Amino acid sequence: MNMNLEGKVYPPYRLKPDRALAARMQAGQGLGAPAAVPPTYFIFLRGETRGVDLFTDLDIPRTKALHAGQRYEWFAPVGWDDEIEVTARIASLAEKQGKGGKLWFADIEYEYRILPARTLALREITRLVKRG
Amino acid sequence: MAAPKPGDVIFDVTRPGASREQLAFFSTGTEDPNPIHVDEAFAKSAGFSTVLQQGPMTTAHLAALLDERFGARLKSLDVTFTAPVYPGEALRLVATVESAASDIVCALAVHKPDGTQSARGTAVVRP
Repeated sequence: MNMNLEGKVYPPYRLKPDRALAARMQAGQGLGAPAAVPPTYFIFLRGETRGVDLFTDLDIPRTKALHAGQRYEWFAPVGWDDEIEVTARIASLAEKQGKGGKLWFADIEYEYRILPARTLALREITRLVKRG
Repeated sequence: MAAPKPGDVIFDVTRPGASREQLAFFSTGTEDPNPIHVDEAFAKSAGFSTVLQQGPMTTAHLAALLDERFGARLKSLDVTFTAPVYPGEALRLVATVESAASDIVCALAVHKPDGTQSARGTAVVRP
């Protein structure tokens, strides 16, 4: 893993909730189209085509990647028409010796702010693991 | 509705196993480019027996159930994925109140039909 990227802050990108994507997400869960923006609609994955290419930047080949977990904190509701500014930061990187070899852990923090006031709506931390 | 107290079960719900088509829907819906959820050969090259269900689908299930019960009172959700989930594996999702002081803290557990825990976590809710 590229350990010297700890603390890196990516340039912000913008998102608007998309009803079609939300409906697809919920279809995956076996649920109907949502009336409101689903609580976990905003997810780190949406940054990958918007300049936050974690797997490349951190040198985590897909075949060696595991998703260890997620944390969400909600501060304000987001409506379908809201425009959101997203800032991603590589919060921490760590190397550990596991039973089956080395493991590398990355915690990446995303803040989602409602424009134009930049009201903090949501904080997401995703935890990625690279297997040796 | 009575205030939750320690030991109360907030939900104990089983979601049916997701099909491969559902996994593909979820990947599209979350803009997830990882082939491990849809490409059998790729999943095998990564050391798994078949494609993997997305961890965030478990998070989404838990969040939806908590949102249904608590709405905007839900403050935070922390989920750790502890075992892979494969297509067709039902998930039993349980939330139990651990403490109910200034906030309500719920312990979360997700199990597969064979008893393997696939995720655990904590949710914090405003009283």
